[in-house]
Amino acid sequence: MASRFWTQGGDSETEEEESDLEYEVQAGAKEGGQDVGNGSKYLRSDSDSEDSDDQKRVVRSAKDKRFDEMVHTVEQVKNSMKINDWVSIEENYDKLNKQLEKVFRVTESEVVPRVYIKALVMLEDFLAQALANKDAKKKMSPSNAKALNYMKQKLKKNNKQYEVEIEKFRENPESEVEEDKDSEMMDQSETESEAGYSDEEPDKIIGFSDSDAGDEEPEGGDGPWEKQKTRKEKIMDKQFAKDPSEISWEMVDKKVKEIIAARGRKGTDRAEQIEQLTYLLRVAKTPAQKLEVLMHVVSAQFDVNLSLNTHMPINVWKKSVQNVLSMLDILAQYPNIVLEDAMDPEMENESQKGADYDGPIHIWGNIVAFLERIDDEFFKSLQFIDPHTKDYVERLRDEPLFMVLAQNVQDYLERIGDMKAAARVALRRLEHVYYKPQAVYEAMRMQSRSVTTGENIDDGDSELDDEDRQMTKFSSDMKGPPAFVSVLEIVPRQPSFPELSRTLMDQLLSLIYRVGDERTKPRAMLCDIYYHAVSEEFHTARDLLLMSHLQDSVQHMDISTQILFNRAMAQLGLCAFRASLISEAHSCLSELYAGGRVKELLAQGVQQSRYYEKTPEQEKLERRRQMPFHMHINLELLEAVHLVSAMLLEVPNMAASALDPKKKVISKNFRRLIESSEKLAFIGPPENVRDHVMAATRALSRGDAEKAIEVIQSLDVWKLLPKKDHVLKMLKGKIQEEALRTYLFTYSPYYDALSLDQLIKMFTLSESQVHSIVSKMIVAEELHASWDQPTRCIVTHNVEPTRLQALAAQFAEKLTVLMDSNEKAYEAYTGGSLDGPPAGRRKESQDYASVTTGRWQGELSTAQGKQSSYSRYGSTGQRSLFNVGRTSQSRVGGTGGYKDLRSTQGNVRGGTTYSSTFQSTRYQDAYSSVGRTPYQSGSSVRGGQTDASGRMVSLTRSGRF
Amino acid sequence: MAQYDLTYKIAPYLERHLVFPLLEFLQERNLYSDDQILKAKIELLAKTNMVDYAMDIHKSLYHTEDVPEAMVERRAEVVGKMKMLEEAAAPLINFLQNPALVQELQSDKQSNLQKLNERHQIGPNQIEALYQFAKFQFECGNYSGAADYLYQYRTLCTNSDRSLSALWGKLAAEILMQNWDVALEELNRLKEVIDSKNFSSPLSQLQNRTWLMHWSLFVYFNHENGRNAIIELFFQERYLNAIQTNAHHLLRYLAIAVIINKRRRNSLKDLVKVIQQEQYTYKDPITEFLECLFVNYDFEKAQQKLFECGEVIENDFFLGKQAQEGSFVTVPLRDEFLENARLFIFETYCRIHQCIDIRMLAEKLNMDYDDAERWIVNLIRNARLDAMIDSKMGTVIMGTQRSSVYEQIIESTKQLSIRSYMLANGVVAAAAATQGYNL
Repeated sequence: MASRFWTQGGDSETEEEESDLEYEVQAGAKEGGQDVGNGSKYLRSDSDSEDSDDQKRVVRSAKDKRFDEMVHTVEQVKNSMKINDWVSIEENYDKLNKQLEKVFRVTESEVVPRVYIKALVMLEDFLAQALANKDAKKKMSPSNAKALNYMKQKLKKNNKQYEVEIEKFRENPESEVEEDKDSEMMDQSETESEAGYSDEEPDKIIGFSDSDAGDEEPEGGDGPWEKQKTRKEKIMDKQFAKDPSEISWEMVDKKVKEIIAARGRKGTDRAEQIEQLTYLLRVAKTPAQKLEVLMHVVSAQFDVNLSLNTHMPINVWKKSVQNVLSMLDILAQYPNIVLEDAMDPEMENESQKGADYDGPIHIWGNIVAFLERIDDEFFKSLQFIDPHTKDYVERLRDEPLFMVLAQNVQDYLERIGDMKAAARVALRRLEHVYYKPQAVYEAMRMQSRSVTTGENIDDGDSELDDEDRQMTKFSSDMKGPPAFVSVLEIVPRQPSFPELSRTLMDQLLSLIYRVGDERTKPRAMLCDIYYHAVSEEFHTARDLLLMSHLQDSVQHMDISTQILFNRAMAQLGLCAFRASLISEAHSCLSELYAGGRVKELLAQGVQQSRYYEKTPEQEKLERRRQMPFHMHINLELLEAVHLVSAMLLEVPNMAASALDPKKKVISKNFRRLIESSEKLAFIGPPENVRDHVMAATRALSRGDAEKAIEVIQSLDVWKLLPKKDHVLKMLKGKIQEEALRTYLFTYSPYYDALSLDQLIKMFTLSESQVHSIVSKMIVAEELHASWDQPTRCIVTHNVEPTRLQALAAQFAEKLTVLMDSNEKAYEAYTGGSLDGPPAGRRKESQDYASVTTGRWQGELSTAQGKQSSYSRYGSTGQRSLFNVGRTSQSRVGGTGGYKDLRSTQGNVRGGTTYSSTFQSTRYQDAYSSVGRTPYQSGSSVRGGQTDASGRMVSLTRSGRF
Repeated sequence: MAQYDLTYKIAPYLERHLVFPLLEFLQERNLYSDDQILKAKIELLAKTNMVDYAMDIHKSLYHTEDVPEAMVERRAEVVGKMKMLEEAAAPLINFLQNPALVQELQSDKQSNLQKLNERHQIGPNQIEALYQFAKFQFECGNYSGAADYLYQYRTLCTNSDRSLSALWGKLAAEILMQNWDVALEELNRLKEVIDSKNFSSPLSQLQNRTWLMHWSLFVYFNHENGRNAIIELFFQERYLNAIQTNAHHLLRYLAIAVIINKRRRNSLKDLVKVIQQEQYTYKDPITEFLECLFVNYDFEKAQQKLFECGEVIENDFFLGKQAQEGSFVTVPLRDEFLENARLFIFETYCRIHQCIDIRMLAEKLNMDYDDAERWIVNLIRNARLDAMIDSKMGTVIMGTQRSSVYEQIIESTKQLSIRSYMLANGVVAAAAATQGYNL
């Protein structure tokens, strides 16, 4: 709350009268309410208003009170000296010092009160005396002795600062007249003394501010505020009093240093700092100095909000963007100014060199860091603003502003040849573009254009901005002379977006791929994949993903990259679905849904886990990672796509192996849903996505395609799809086909022959489709039947095995199981002990012992599919139980999967425009691969044919591990 | 048919001179207008040294007797350069033309070089000149000369990159001289070098492989044993990768080679897999035919595609070689392809049917009833088909294809013995190892 108030104050400060008034009211209220004795804050606030003429009387008293207090303390010290109580002397001495600070504050000057000096001298003498008296020292109580020692050290240190005064005092102890420290003192170059003060007395200041924070916090907002006012006035005074040309480089430099030294301390007012620096900006002597001050202004603006959990005020954000833009102006105008991150202390006075200086001028600063911070703040503000309000939309309109800035920064960096940093900036830009389909991009482009045609970028923004504008106008029109160093607006203030977002993407990507580092390249690649997926280029996106090996390496990257990866995967799944590649869509999404943590994986909301509690820290971290609302992938649509594709794959699969004990499961998640829905006693009308899909599943497993289609098509989420009709039509076709397959699986054993025409009618498919589907099933030996061409019938050959045959078959199966478990045991014995926890291993092999060969094969091929697509998400670094189980499983199946995984890496093409570097690694691996199965081993899963040679390969390989 | 023409895709992977035959062929087929092809030829020649030829083409293209200045200048330049190079290489060439001296050379390169240097004052410069001269000869169209020089250059050359270039040059020259046997040898040599050489980047190795595959088309479709070799080469993992990475169009040649090769039935499955994978980037009637037949079991469409395939083959330089038989002009490869494809269709058809009408079959196979019946009878007689003909009904009745339970059990247990054998071996080996370790 405090900070909110501050910033408000900071903004409205221009309207001086108004705020003055408000302030007086506040001060008045306090005056009335507070009791005089303990009123350090009270005093302070009063004394602050000293400068405003009407309250002179109060000011006097406040000042006097300060001195009274001091005198009082000195008295106490004297008393303690009499009884030789060093502990209380020490206490009072500290108190005295604090009071001194306050006096300084009140009087705004650095002249040390005589009382203080006197006390010091007194203490010094007494100390010397005490130290000389060795016997007395020995007799002292331990605590007293300790305090004495402390005093000795402190006094020594402290007195050094006042040597001159002390000397003077000693020389002339009689003149005890308290000088009046008024106006002349104020005008005396306070810069000097203050700078000295902050440099020499850091410990003192810290001590001071501690106590300040202790008892002054509730009112903390007021004091500095007022002070700032006074300062401001002073600045104005100074301005009017002095011709700006009198201000020298040194003065500005000193002042800057002084302000910077106060930075980050508790007592300093951040808004005021900005104010001061902004003034200095206008009086800066050389371009280099101006740039230097600008740097400080921007850092100070960043300081306005210290908390990680809230965002920077939007108007401050805008100002800092403008400031960075003017930095760029300076840099463009004076190419000899060089920004440096690490600064030599010797270089300190570089900024003294004027505009006509030829050689390079080194200035401390890192413009990329500023840009990144600005971007982060933008992102954060979007996280915190409620997406359903107008504010959010307003905020989004600032995006082009950022894009301009980033573009300019990038241009600058490219100009000076810092390509690494340029790539980083390019990535920032990329991350503002990649998730936008062309239509949205177009909207942004149009918006940015319409904004810039208006005279001010802030046009039509909130009131704050109006004030802001007034302020800028005010400062330029009324506040005196124009700045010394006028900087032309060189860098373009309006974004130039290429017409197609693809063009922009390509520009940025090619730069990043050329010069990017370890982090930017994969991120750029992921953005690219995401973008391709959004723009319906599934194959390109998939190839990019596979050739970059991101699915292998993403686990080692930072969390935000992992989130980006997950987002890209989700989008890829949606894209595959739209392109009617059902099994691809399923394999993209199934992993995402496996743990039931979709929200968390996509950073689109915090999900409570049933199994374990998150600590507040974790939750906070997670909140910080959230995606802003406009970047969200619709979760309902995602779920619908996932479940529908799982349904299309799983229902016929279930029908095929209904009576088979060795079932292979395509989607565990879907199976679980089916089980739970089967347990329901009453089935209500479908409400959410899941209900709909379950209802469709029930219809589909009966072979009732029409009902299934109807239920699926009644889902609302489809309207989010760009080509809804097309997708629905595709879905209809797919459901019909799968219904036919399910029907054949389920009912063919009960028929001797099926008529083709009948099937055509039942599933409203064309003849060639039915023929093709049935033929496929026959060839894959899923359906034991053959065509009878003259009568257009499918004749089934169901042979019931005799008892002996059945037993023999069973026996053979058991042998296979035995064999498998032997192999597992062998594997565990030779290789397993090395690379896995034995417990998990054992559990796994038991698991395998209970199933049959077919299961093993199935497991193998699913593991292949799983591994080859995207091995793991594990985005948050939390290892749930589930995760561990999954890991060990994939390791066991991994012997087969391994080969597969590698072979997919050869599945490479195109993309020559991007990334020669990515390609090179990819080819290398491609050579070592053995088999070539596509990464979407959906077909092999469905066919259920694992050829023996493949198994042999995996066997021999497993021996080696 | 022009949309299935691959010349523009293949040409970037070929030597300029190798593109000529392709263009000539296109000219014959009249797929493009003559003017276009002639222009393409001139452009092609612009960078070679065959200036005279370019002039001829220019004349016939524009029907004039005038030749542009640039060409005349270029001719002079080429001649001048040839003189210069010839001079530079002269000492070595003289040496090489003397068989007595050449016989003195031994297999050791270093000692040869030393000897040459000592006795004949032939140093690295002359050897380099020989290479340049050979290259120049090649560019002028003097392939046999170039082939000879390059051969000799290789015996003397120490630079591995240069010797690779020399190999390429030699292969190109042999191809252009149509010495298929020698070319095949060169091809194999080149392949070995490419596979074993350390390339600076995997990318350039890939590039080399792709070139090799393209060049090999000349050899394989002309050499009698080429059809086997092409399958072997293209199905090698690395080469298959290369195809999938940047030369999808080569799938056409691979598909044809597989289809016409009766002994390579087992590669068909792999081929179909690859074709399916690449189907979104490359597709022509031939791959589509395979897809219809083996993925979708859509016989009607397969039939249709087969018809298109014939045309595509005729219009393809590598496939559409014509043979003169009396007064008939046939394309032997096309006929072979169609015959085999028909067989494929029939076989697949039989696999999923138990009863087929011969009349319908005859229609599908483009035969009349009697021919079809005869054809089927022959198949049955050669034990390639387990079926009987019901001549009264005019149908073919398939024998039962499904295996008996007995066979199934045998099948499933056969694996077991091999696997347990391996397991036992593994255990013994491990035990021996640990024992050895313990002792």
